[in-house]
Amino acid sequence: MKQLGQYWFGEVALARPYFLVRFVLGLLAFDLWLNMIPEGAKYAAGAFNVAHFPMFEDFVPSSGFYLGVLAFTGVLALSQALYRPHPIAITFVAAGYTLGWSCSLLDAAPHHYLISLYLLCFIFFPMLSARAAFSRSDQAPLGSAWAYVLFCVTTAIMYFYVAAWAASEGRAYWLPMACCVGFLVASLQDRVSLPALKVAVAPLVAAPITFHVIERSETWFSACMIGIALIVFAPTQAIHGLGQILTRPARSLFEEQAVEGLDERASGVFYLSLLGLVAAPMLSMLVDLPGVKTGCTLTAIAMLFVMGRQLYLTPRFRPIWRVASLFGGCLALWLSVTASTARFEYYDNAALDAEARGDSEAALELREKAERYAR
Amino acid sequence: MASSQTEPPPPLPSGKSRHRTGLFIAAFVGLQFLIPLSYLVREDASDDRFTWRTVSSTEAETCEARASIQRFDGTEEALSLETLLHEQWVDYVGEGRRSVVDAFLLRQCEREDVQQAALFTKCDDERGEREFSLRCGGERAYETTRTAAR
Repeated sequence: MKQLGQYWFGEVALARPYFLVRFVLGLLAFDLWLNMIPEGAKYAAGAFNVAHFPMFEDFVPSSGFYLGVLAFTGVLALSQALYRPHPIAITFVAAGYTLGWSCSLLDAAPHHYLISLYLLCFIFFPMLSARAAFSRSDQAPLGSAWAYVLFCVTTAIMYFYVAAWAASEGRAYWLPMACCVGFLVASLQDRVSLPALKVAVAPLVAAPITFHVIERSETWFSACMIGIALIVFAPTQAIHGLGQILTRPARSLFEEQAVEGLDERASGVFYLSLLGLVAAPMLSMLVDLPGVKTGCTLTAIAMLFVMGRQLYLTPRFRPIWRVASLFGGCLALWLSVTASTARFEYYDNAALDAEARGDSEAALELREKAERYAR
Repeated sequence: MASSQTEPPPPLPSGKSRHRTGLFIAAFVGLQFLIPLSYLVREDASDDRFTWRTVSSTEAETCEARASIQRFDGTEEALSLETLLHEQWVDYVGEGRRSVVDAFLLRQCEREDVQQAALFTKCDDERGEREFSLRCGGERAYETTRTAAR
């Protein structure tokens, strides 16, 4: 029992949870905007829907609803990747993302369930600043992060079942099984001083990389899993060193002296933050897609929840950075949608669907929009 | 401006908190092991959600579907699935995914003067030809025939 406790609550290099949250949330945001927005056109087509779970039985999500959820989740996810994540925000991201796929069987990609499990783990991750994850000394900071171990075990279970079903159907199963074992072993590497284990972990990363290169039908998912494997399997000193280099600007930018109580900056910071919260969602008015404005406005409201007392009572600049990260998220959404073919594909798909259902008037209108955004 | 201090590492959960965390971990891991196993008792073999039988989306099987309704006066009317549903729903219906088939047939029963709705599917794999029918007023479609394709 004690050993089990040591497994879950033992120390891990804090660089790993630090990078994992930011990497997955950042990639998730762009996946939502670039890959899932074009799929939004099919929602509510024919006013028919079957959800993944009975609780959504009579609910027919519209395109606007779906795109709003994608915008909300993406902007909030990216804002958390840009500046110190907060458990409330991650909870909103997990809820929004899960709602997005679970409200309809139109979204039945198996890995979306895995990402939801990951997001659930992230809620309990240590919410680390760059200063906490990367000390100035060469010694990598270690700390207990049971949710990180749970993240690794969740990934291992997924690979275990991939291997088990493959074995039951007489297909080769050694590669996913190697991935499963690899993730379990790698989760131990920061606290076990066995040289053999440390030597074995780094080459084991070849298993998930090979698996996802072979399986690469979903490029973004493969990239996500390869990135996760690199973070989990990297030697402690390597990931710490890389983190020190990458976070140097952030550490000098965000650091400030701790000031007790309120000072004269407090009211300035408060009004500036409030103004920012109102202004950031306005960027979404430039994105001509249904539901996106509502989604971004809800993100600002969610951010208000996240900031809570901090917004009014903290005299430091933390609220400003939070609002800046929200701006960053909204700006990235606008740039992603306008610089990619996502918006064209959305309207093109909607026009094709309207044509198939014989709604020529709607098809014409959607076709005009698609042509406007054709690149 | 910059502080040279390093923030303290996250604290180790202790006592009650550790116990609660342990219970959460046990439930989370236990569910993850049990949910994929539920596939073994699923009525609909095409429904492999949350099981990790596939990690990425797979191409839809080549299936066809035809639907019709029977009115109370005995007349039968063929339905064009493509004009009623998005093509992805047509694929689901063609594969005979039970939850979608049931919802689709129930939906046809909501039309006026419909006594029975029926769906005929044909796949190139072991599912072969299947026919589902729903007498309006019922909750669940009845699978009447099944013919192996090979």
